[in-house]
Formats: sequence, structure tokens, C-alpha cells
Amino acid sequence: MGRGASTNSIPEIDDDRFLLVIGSNTTEAHPVLALRMKKAVRNGATLVVADPRKIWLTKIAKRHLQLRPGTDVWLLNAIMHVILEEGLQDEEYIRAHTEDFEAVREIVKRYPPEQAERMTGVPAEDIRATAREYAAEKYAAVFYTLGITEHACAVDNVWSLSNLVLMTGHLGYESTGLNALRGQNNVQGLNDAGANPSYLPGYQSLTDPEVVLKFEERWGAKVPQTPGYRLDQMISGLHDGRIKGLYLVGENPAHTEPNAHHVEEGLERVEFMVAQDLFLNETTRDHADVVFPASSFAEKEGTFTNTERRVNRVRKALDSPGSAREDWRIVVDFANALGAGWWYETAEDIWNEFADLSPNWSGIRYDRLEEVGLQWPCTDLDHPGSRFLHAPRPDRAGGRAKFFPVEYQPPIEQPDSEFPFVLSTGRTLYHYNSAGMTMREPGVTDKQVEPFFEISAEDASNLGLEEGDLARLVSRRGELEAEARITERVYPGLVWMALHFAQAKVNWLTHDVGDPLIGTPEYKVSAVRIERA
Amino acid sequence: MVELTVDGRTIQATEGELLVHVLARNGVFVPTLCHDAKLDPYGGCRVCVVEVEGAPRPVPACATRAAQGMAISTNGRAEKLRRTLTEMLLTEHLNANPGGRPNELVGLAEELGAEAPFILPDAKREPYEDRNRLMGYDPDACILCNRCVRYTQEVMQCSALSLEGRGPEARIVPTWDRSWLDTECELCGGCLSVCPTGAIYEKFEEGFPANREVQLDKVKTTCTFCGVGCQIDLNVDRETNRIVKVTSDPSYLPNEGDLCVKGRFAFNFVHHPDRLTEPLVRGEDGELHETSWEHALAVAAKGLEEVRDRHGPQSIGFLASARLTMEENFLIQKLARAVIGTNSVHSCEAT
Ligand code: SF4
Ligand code: SF4
Ligand code: SF4
Ligand code: FES
Repeated sequence: MGRGASTNSIPEIDDDRFLLVIGSNTTEAHPVLALRMKKAVRNGATLVVADPRKIWLTKIAKRHLQLRPGTDVWLLNAIMHVILEEGLQDEEYIRAHTEDFEAVREIVKRYPPEQAERMTGVPAEDIRATAREYAAEKYAAVFYTLGITEHACAVDNVWSLSNLVLMTGHLGYESTGLNALRGQNNVQGLNDAGANPSYLPGYQSLTDPEVVLKFEERWGAKVPQTPGYRLDQMISGLHDGRIKGLYLVGENPAHTEPNAHHVEEGLERVEFMVAQDLFLNETTRDHADVVFPASSFAEKEGTFTNTERRVNRVRKALDSPGSAREDWRIVVDFANALGAGWWYETAEDIWNEFADLSPNWSGIRYDRLEEVGLQWPCTDLDHPGSRFLHAPRPDRAGGRAKFFPVEYQPPIEQPDSEFPFVLSTGRTLYHYNSAGMTMREPGVTDKQVEPFFEISAEDASNLGLEEGDLARLVSRRGELEAEARITERVYPGLVWMALHFAQAKVNWLTHDVGDPLIGTPEYKVSAVRIERA
Repeated sequence: MVELTVDGRTIQATEGELLVHVLARNGVFVPTLCHDAKLDPYGGCRVCVVEVEGAPRPVPACATRAAQGMAISTNGRAEKLRRTLTEMLLTEHLNANPGGRPNELVGLAEELGAEAPFILPDAKREPYEDRNRLMGYDPDACILCNRCVRYTQEVMQCSALSLEGRGPEARIVPTWDRSWLDTECELCGGCLSVCPTGAIYEKFEEGFPANREVQLDKVKTTCTFCGVGCQIDLNVDRETNRIVKVTSDPSYLPNEGDLCVKGRFAFNFVHHPDRLTEPLVRGEDGELHETSWEHALAVAAKGLEEVRDRHGPQSIGFLASARLTMEENFLIQKLARAVIGTNSVHSCEAT
């Protein structure tokens, strides 16, 4: 639907009457947003959860669609199949605001619910009921997160959801829409800022001569025209010699990237690496040539943009320890050491350059963010910001949203006799990705600190594992040891593990074949075998 | 819309609106303790009582809804009753400040000029030890208003706490005789944030004097842990230059004062001794050594320049970060594009 952003706002969730939460363990990944979902359900809204695991939200859900990992497209196409078969689509919306609908109609014909039941494990009746409820309710919102994007077919999954939302006209007003719940605090801002090889700040085109000229004039420098590398291409570039130098800002690819052993080997070949971070981590300790001491969020001015596109101020509360500096100052100092002649004195100077260059942000200025943040698009100083997108019509050239037919692709790695279990990964409430920050919290780690994996009672007893027993998980790429946690959250054949543990990195096991378009690695589905340790 | 009178003044209200909100909007002060706009109407403590013409007894403003023609009186008998109720609460309020949180009962007593006429002989209630290192509960500060339990049931839906016992025995306890840490509690601190007396309080690290609330400097900012973007106040002790606790406020969007365990309690990493404080450069010996900024910047610039000269700008990759600010990420992509000359800028978590 054009942009990777939530269409609607967090407070609007209170008034949702139907919520489809797919591949989002919201109470752990976005706990305070989940409070709004709990409130909506308490006020009588219908909640349907689609997730391989019995996550907390299934407790208050009307229905749990417990699909097999990686079969989202089957499920979604089958829901659309029912909608079209029963004529529940919004013909008026489709005619006035979309294009290429026929292509989707053709494809979803081949996804009847009975066959979907065999593929996904979700009963056909549940698929039908969900389709009917969703199509009938005006204030119906869809929420998704990494669960749906961390697959090799990440883009397909998002297109499927977009097709579903469009054919029922759930777009362009309050308490509805397609809501991508952003993982880390400032993923939205990171992308908005143009830290991406395929577009300039503000999602502006790298190939539009007018846009490029605008940037070149402001920057007094050429904008390179050679396409850049995505992260996965940089890592393979380390192996084949295309990448020789790295500049890392607060990142730890040796931990967070799939097939971590392969990443580590690549990092060994780097000729020169510069990093700036709060702590040393596996990547920098062994491979960095220079490490600059950086600042935490409490030590600087700036903004984070949340998942509802709201630009919120970050304010300085403390001085940094020792001679550590704000990250933006480090970048300025480094650029100047290369002779760039940058002059920024405050974070606001930087913001203003971004906002001057990016039409959808040009109305957002620091003085307007004092009381409460503003949601982009916000195109001039009188613009109040945008609570929801695509109103009164889809925000795309020509005012029409496009349907993209999507066919199911099986997950790249299927379980077999040697590696019979599907391993799915994710995050837990108590930690934050590689946990460089949260593993250092006393009190918080009391709840959870040893590496563990979730396994069903049936599988555990077949393997002779008891609660808390140490087991070895082995994939084609590596192995690790973790404690078995026996739970009904996973079904037989599925095991689940969190990303956070340095001593048992689940990314030693996962594979690194990503979505061909955006390079998002397939964290969610790998095949493993389990042995008693 | 309905019309009603308050102390003789005619005002308008939406039918069914809680009186306490109608009054506040019209500048009439009625104190509350057990009331919380987030929670269902409760009417437990009765310090908000007002008189309504025709009603046999004073009614709680927090649990009574506006109706056409109501004649409300907030002073006189109601005011006296409020003072008496406050005094009753004070007879059991042995500890006004277990953890340095603001105490609304003490504030109310000052406002009304109420003092405890005596201390109930059996006021002392048994505390219990708990493995929860982040939050504590002191029954001697608790007025049994049940706001905490209602929050756990209605907002967090965690079923971790309950009200146990009667009379002098009554206390808030973790459910099913477990340690608080071993209940369904997810350490969000929501029950703490709604407690009007500070009976539930943040536990501080060893040696931190708890009664220094007044000296804490609040800096409003955005939580650094997830995309919800909760608005928080870092409470900083200026003497030690440390964050002491994190609070929020019901007026803040999008979280309306709610937080999760990370936003509320995971701030100690900021002060961790492992923080890097000086630039590091890898020496001949293969180890990282502390050095000056000037030297580190020169080494870094020379190193990447040499890579660029040998292999071209395409050979250098930049990893930005979703943890950093928008402004910082903007600069990193500008560094890559405008200074080094490559579009290769990406991050580990692009989703
Ligand atoms: S801290 Fe949060 S999760 Fe724990 S008991 Fe209180 S409200 Fe429930
Ligand atoms: S702990 Fe606080 S919120 Fe809970 S009943 Fe006691 S005074 Fe009320
Ligand atoms: S307090 Fe919790 S829910 Fe809110 S932004 Fe921080 S991590 Fe996210
Ligand atoms: S505040 Fe109204 S009864 Fe307690």
C-alpha cells in the first residue's frame, strides 16, 4: 500500500470492534499497545489471533487460528476466497479506489478453505467465520509484525494482508486499516530517515533527477547512482570481497543476523571496521579497528518515530559518562575528519535539514513537538498531522491502491527425517533483541535469564525430556544447548526459542536465505533436531 | 445534554457522565482516592461524596452519573463527612512514605486540615517478604482502595494481586500464596502507578534514600525499547547525575501513563560500569586500547579512506540503527552517500 507504516493510530484501537492480530505476540513485543487491545475486547470487540503459538492474546480471543509457521498466504488467500465466494467484498470501494482486483479474484479461487485446512491446520469453519466477521464489521483493524515479515516470503505476506484490507474497504477512516507494528523503538524513524540503500530520506526516489538535484544542491555533493547493498548483500560481500570496510552504529550483526557463524567468518575478512556504541559486543570486540564511545537515549536530544508515525521528542536528561559523545556528534566529527566541513550544532539543525528536504515532514518542527508528537504526513506548519492514512482516497499516484495477487510459497527449509522439528524464533517481554541493554538489568532478569526453548508435552515425552532439562538443538548450520520449557503454547512438531541469549544464539541455527526483494531473513522457520544434552 | 445545578450554579453535562468529571470540568474541587478514570466506577473510599437533593444519603461523585435536574451540593454536610472519612483513614495510616512516592491521602489531609484523632490499636498489619526486587508493598501505607487490584484485573488483566482478609487483617497480596515475582505479574508497574498512597513503591538500589521525591528532576522523553513510543519522565537525581526511576502521566499520548517492564524499570544500563567512556583503537598487539578522540578520529578516517582509495566507495558498508534517533540515522545515510559516495546503508532491524 505504498509505505511501510501503520495506517491508523494507537488510541483508535480503543474503538476497534474487530481485531485480526496475525503473527504479532503483541503483549510481549508491544505491551502498552496490547493494553488497548485488551480494553477493546473488554468493551465487547471481537479478537481473532492467527499465530502458530498459543500466545497470551489467545486467552481473550474469540478464536485462535493456530496455523503452521510459514502458511500465512494460504490462510489469507482462503479468507479472501470466502469473502468473494459469499459476495462480502466492498464493490464500491474496489471500483472507486483500487486497480487490478481481477487478478486477485482469479488467484484466490484456488484457495478453498477445506484445502487451506490441510495446508495450514486451521479448521475451514474458523476461516469462514473469520472472513464473515471481518468483512461485516466497519471498525475492523488488522495488526501484524515480525511474525509475518520475518519469512522468506515477507513481501508476499504483506501483500496478502493488503489485498484483504482493500477488498473489504477497511481503509481511510478511524479504527480500521492495516497496522504494521514496528519492532524496535525507532525502526520507523530509521526508515523515514533514508537509512536504506533503495531510497533517499522521506522515501524519495534515488532515480528521479529532480529529487536527486534537490539533495545535491542542499548537500553540495553528488548523490551516488550505483545501487547500494542491503545488509544481507553486505554480509555476502564480506565473503566474496565486494565489501572491505564497515561503519557500524550500535549494531551487533554477529548476534542478530541469521546463520551467525557465517556472519562471523565474514567479519573476520573485513579490512577496516569503525563502530560507535554504548558497550563492546561480539562484533566489535573481535573485529573493530576503532570504537567510539556513544550515548544512550537519556543523554541526547532528537526524535524517535513510533509505529503510528508519530514523531516524539527524545530529551537529554544526563551527561554521558567519561568522554562519550552523542552519536550524531560522532558522525559529524568523523565526517569532518574526512574533510566534509559539516556545521551542525544541535540535533534540531539536522532535523530541519531532513524536514526541509522531505515534503511529508516539512510541517514538523521541534517547537511543535513540545507537548505531544506529530504524525506524518504533515506537509506545512498549519497541518495538524495525520491520524490515519489513505483518506479520502488511497495515497498512491492516481489515487488508486493496487492489488497484488500472491501465490503460496512453501518455507525454504522443511522438516525431514534428519531434522524433524520446525524451529521458530522471536522475542520475549523481558529483553530487547541481542539484549545488550536488558541483560544488564537486575530485577528484570529475575523473571528470565537462562536460555530456554518451548516444546510441547508430547514431543518432550517422546524425547524423554522433563521441564528444565538441558537439550541440544541441532540444525544444518550449528547447534546450541538450552533448557526445555514444556508448554501448550506450541503444538507437537514446533519448537520456539528467543533471540536474546549470547551463550546460546539461536541465529547459529537459523538460515540466511531471505526475501528476494527486501532481504528480510527467514528467522521464523528452520528445521532442527533435538537431542538430550 | 442535561442541566443540573452545583452549589446553586446551573451547568450542562452529558447524560450519564460521572459527576466527578462534570465537577472537575467546571472547576469544582472534589477530592478522590479510589477513583481512576482508567478504571470502572467503584465508589469505595467515599472521600468524594456530594449531596444530591432527594437522595437519602450523600453519594460518591465518582460513581454517580449526571441526570437532568440534579441539584448537587458539594459543601456543608458533604464536606464535613469528607473530613471525617479522611480522619478515619489516617487512624490506620502508619507509614506515609515507604518508597518516596507522592501520597494523595497526606495531600488531602493537608487540604482539608484533617488529622488522625487517634491511632487504631490494631492498625499494624504484617508485611511480607517477597522476591520482587523492583516493587514493594507496605500494608501500613495501604488504604485498601483496591485501585491496584482493579488495574490488574481491568487494564493489565494479569490476575497477580488480590485483596485478602477483613478489617485489621486486610491486605493486598499476590494471588495463590505465591511470591509476587512468581505470579502472572509481568512487572509492568501499572498497579504501582495507580496506587494513591505509595503503598506500592519502586524498590531502589541499596543505599538510595527513599524520601527524596522532591529533589528529583523530571525530564520528559520517549522510551527506547519498542515502537509504541511511550512517553516517560526520567526522574533524575541531580546530586548523583543518575536516573532514579521512570514515571509517566495519564495525559501523555499514546500510553496515557501506562508502561511495561522495560520502559519502567530497564534504565540501569545507562549507568552500567561496562559503558564505554573513551575511544578505543586496535593496536599492534591486536587489542583495543583507550586513546584520545583526536587520535581515534584520525585513525578511523585514514582507515576508511584507504579502503575507499584501494577498492572504491562501493566497498564500504554502513549499518545504521533503529535504536538511534531519526537525526542520527539521517546523518549516517548522508555520511554514506554524500561523504563516502555509496548507497550501501542499511540496518540489522529494518522491520
Ligand atoms: S506490576 Fe503489572 S503485571 Fe505486575 S501485578 Fe502490577 S499490574 Fe500486574
Ligand atoms: S496498595 Fe495502594 S492501590 Fe492498592 S489498595 Fe492499597 S492503597 Fe490502594
Ligand atoms: S514502555 Fe514498553 S510498550 Fe512502551 S515504548 Fe517502552 S517498551 Fe514499548
Ligand atoms: S474516590 Fe469516589 S469513592 Fe473513592
